[in-house]
Amino acid sequence: MTMSARLKLMPLAVALIATGALATESNEPSPPPVSGPAPVFDSTPAAGPVPGSGALVGLADSAGLRATVFGTPPQDMASLPAKVPLSEINIELPWRLPVPGILWFDSKLRVWLSAQDRPAPLAIVISGTGSDGNTKTMSVLRAALYGAGYHVLTMPSPTFPGFIVSASRTGVAGDLMQDGNDLYAAMQEIIAHLPRKVRITDIDVLGYSLGGANAAIVKSIDATEQKLKIHRVVMINPPVSLFSSVGRLDRLFAATIGPGDRAVELLYRRLYAQIANLYRASDRLELDENFLYGAAAATLKTDADFSAAIAMTFRLQLVDMFFIGDLYGKTGVITDPAHPPKVGDSLEDIQRDLRAKPFADYFTRVFAPYYLTRRPDATSASLIAANRLEIITDALHDDGDYYAQTSGNDLIINRRELSWLQDTLGSRIVVYDHGGHLGEIGDRRQVADMLDMLSGHWPRSAP
Amino acid sequence: MRAAVLVSVALALGGCASHIASIRRVPDQTPAADNAAAAANAAAFAEAAAAESGNDSAHAAEEGQKNPEAQKNQEAQEAPPLLTPADAPPMYTYDPWERLNRFTYRFNARFDEAIFLPAADTYRRAPRPLRAGVHNFFGNLAEIDSIINYTLQWRLKYGLRSLGRLAINTTIGIGGLFDVAAKLKLPGTPTGFATTLAKWGMHPGPYLVIPLLGPSTLRDGVGYLADYGVGYGINVANLYRGNISWGLLVVNGIDQRANIDFRYYSGGSPFEYETIRFLYVRRRLIEDEGLRTKEPVKKAADENPAGK
Repeated sequence: MTMSARLKLMPLAVALIATGALATESNEPSPPPVSGPAPVFDSTPAAGPVPGSGALVGLADSAGLRATVFGTPPQDMASLPAKVPLSEINIELPWRLPVPGILWFDSKLRVWLSAQDRPAPLAIVISGTGSDGNTKTMSVLRAALYGAGYHVLTMPSPTFPGFIVSASRTGVAGDLMQDGNDLYAAMQEIIAHLPRKVRITDIDVLGYSLGGANAAIVKSIDATEQKLKIHRVVMINPPVSLFSSVGRLDRLFAATIGPGDRAVELLYRRLYAQIANLYRASDRLELDENFLYGAAAATLKTDADFSAAIAMTFRLQLVDMFFIGDLYGKTGVITDPAHPPKVGDSLEDIQRDLRAKPFADYFTRVFAPYYLTRRPDATSASLIAANRLEIITDALHDDGDYYAQTSGNDLIINRRELSWLQDTLGSRIVVYDHGGHLGEIGDRRQVADMLDMLSGHWPRSAP
Repeated sequence: MRAAVLVSVALALGGCASHIASIRRVPDQTPAADNAAAAANAAAFAEAAAAESGNDSAHAAEEGQKNPEAQKNQEAQEAPPLLTPADAPPMYTYDPWERLNRFTYRFNARFDEAIFLPAADTYRRAPRPLRAGVHNFFGNLAEIDSIINYTLQWRLKYGLRSLGRLAINTTIGIGGLFDVAAKLKLPGTPTGFATTLAKWGMHPGPYLVIPLLGPSTLRDGVGYLADYGVGYGINVANLYRGNISWGLLVVNGIDQRANIDFRYYSGGSPFEYETIRFLYVRRRLIEDEGLRTKEPVKKAADENPAGK
């Protein structure tokens, strides 16, 4: 029994640190009513009150938190095909920046294709914050779309380390327009390199979480450039203001885990003891994936547990983006621009420091300095404003090919942002009464609605 | 054979030929079956949770921490006291050979990407019954080592089970090609000398990345070596020293790899080395806790840092 057991520890992955991460890769959520800590991020003055800057933010409720962590229950899943073929495409993009030695493994962009063997429309799906194109959520969407007759191309988020290194023109991720341009260029390269037997009749783009906002931006770019002629877009649980969504997450982290790495260590110790006790009480001989799923369910019980798991999961995704941004932007927050870490150097202290840093630090110390030097007219406030879906309000409102699906208890938006989505999209948005953030993906109704939106049968005419 | 291995290693180090775009078929996804399995798993856990609802160890742990009275009662009922957060090892991991380990890790990642994984993907295209036969065959051979180690661990019940499995699968299962014993409610639960050392109270020791095998610790590494030594020493049917021993080793490796759902750097994270090290050592420590307490033995002295 040599290596088999050795490598099998990936599932244990986030489990010890944030047990909930096992169930879904949840992205940018926001807190339940928080009384104590002052707003961390939204203190930057923007024009007028920043959406979601109040104490009571987001639409989170207990069911929403639970759904965010555990996802759609298997019994509520739409019927999915028995078999979905899958190919992995690794592509080198001509505009890639020089790759630092320690990131050698991220030098090519990796995307996944499930192709039909007859001419068909292509559905491109963009992943959520920090995630690659082959997550569990993605597998469900891929299966649903493939089953409905689409070629399916799934792509990482522009905030995923592998995307930043292989496809970003800046290395500093998180700017909607810049990320949208990088994505759009990458899509063209990929489509140009698809095997000839993949015959495409039409192109639609979808995305979940941050990927939803990315998808809409990509279509708006395409509307002027006309290189892909993207037809329809479906945004699933999109954020409205990127920075107020993640700002909420910082507050959620502060409220449920506490400030600094000491708090992370306490959370880890608690989880370690709980999992060890569960394991000792069980009759299992091996600490395997099934056990951990059970442990997650047994360990995460209260809203505070769910919130901590969600906040921790997001924080861990942020750590990579923060590190890479600082490295590329030479902003010197965590790496010395004159002596960047080399292959073989320990990164543990860097990881530990970054775990304790909120997203606000990424914005103020990496993102803003980088973009302010390069955009002379910009201010902090204008950078924040440029990262709202409002920058394409007219397109969203006037072009009947933008659609959205979200939940009335999604964590990453507040009531005002939800209303804005409803006012802007009119009948082209559906709001479910459950699901939290991404917790309705794969649900029968979600899949049926998504397919109707993509095929132009939405809103369904009354019988 | 050895030359082929050397060439492979050279290729792995050099990386594969770089094209602008490469497309590679990976195993099909089976969403309908996956969802059915998830539903069954969820149902099983719900059942187990309902059965155990009176005995919530996680909460009991916290109570035990706050309330010594409760802890005493707990101790009276069950042998081992529950772990409290203070018992958890620190987040730092003992890794004195880090620089070497990191290079080995990178070598493993490249080797995996260039050779191991493509080989495993090719192997996965073979008919399922054939692969099952290969897997069962090697699993059956490993039962010999399990019998020895369960005995050394003084867990005779499991040792007998392994012995029963070996007897049934070697005869009725035609030389181990079919896992008949599993169908007779004798599931395979392999063990090895690494676990024996743990049972004897040895700490994991320094973290160690083994070439080709991956994350380990000094103790576990010694354990694997001993397991291989046992196979080599007993040399059943001359499988370990004969002409085909290299071939068998390669097939065994590919079979093992094909059954592991892991991809180096699939998360793209610059901190993967740290994360894997953290998780591997914590997992082993939790398994050690289980070994110490599942069958009542005297509790080992409190250990200090993770792995030391």
